[in-house]
Amino acid sequence: MKAIHAFSLVLLLSVIATGCGKKESPPAAAVPAPVTQPAPAPAGVTVSNISLGNAIGADKRVVASTSSFSKNDTVYASVETTGSGKATLMAKWTYHKGDMTAPVKENVMDIAADGPAVNEFHISMPTGLPPGNYQVEIFADNKSAGVSKFTVN
Amino acid sequence: MADKDMPDFSGIKSGSSTTATRIYEVVSGDSLSKIAKREYGDAKLWKKIFEANTDILKDPNKIYPGQKLKIPPK
Repeated sequence: MKAIHAFSLVLLLSVIATGCGKKESPPAAAVPAPVTQPAPAPAGVTVSNISLGNAIGADKRVVASTSSFSKNDTVYASVETTGSGKATLMAKWTYHKGDMTAPVKENVMDIAADGPAVNEFHISMPTGLPPGNYQVEIFADNKSAGVSKFTVN
Repeated sequence: MADKDMPDFSGIKSGSSTTATRIYEVVSGDSLSKIAKREYGDAKLWKKIFEANTDILKDPNKIYPGQKLKIPPK
């Protein structure tokens, strides 16, 4: 009889232990997928306009836009930029004759803009620019931002 | 492609300027007055460059090659 009681006690305790043991955890709440926000556009300087002329004002803009110059002119390329931050601007001047191209000059300028800015590059030649067809290509951080062609008569 | 029939551009003069702040990297032999002369055409404007760079310059007589100075518009 004692053995039966002991067995029953063990059985009872084991049932209690099982019942009070590890509780089944509730199903995990669905974790919402992280919302991917579009990355903000990186602050940077971009070229918004290029214009050529033979004179500039204090604001670095050409006084009158033209693509035709005389040999004694100074050729100005006025480059308007928007955005802020540091940027390297480059003007690559070249001369074109038929299929041939000759490098004329490369100007590099590092700027730190805090908003819209106007930048200018210029070339001239004391003995006069050789007549012919030219172009100036503007680069912002090594990426081409535009090409302007002009002639010298 | 250069060619002997192409003009000689060795005498070309060029330059640049900006309404933004320009960044200039100091080279050996530079001084603030030399930089001011070159950038503004007036050596006396060295103080303008110094004042724009007090975050990295403590003494206007001590600038070092490789330093990048802000050159404010004239």
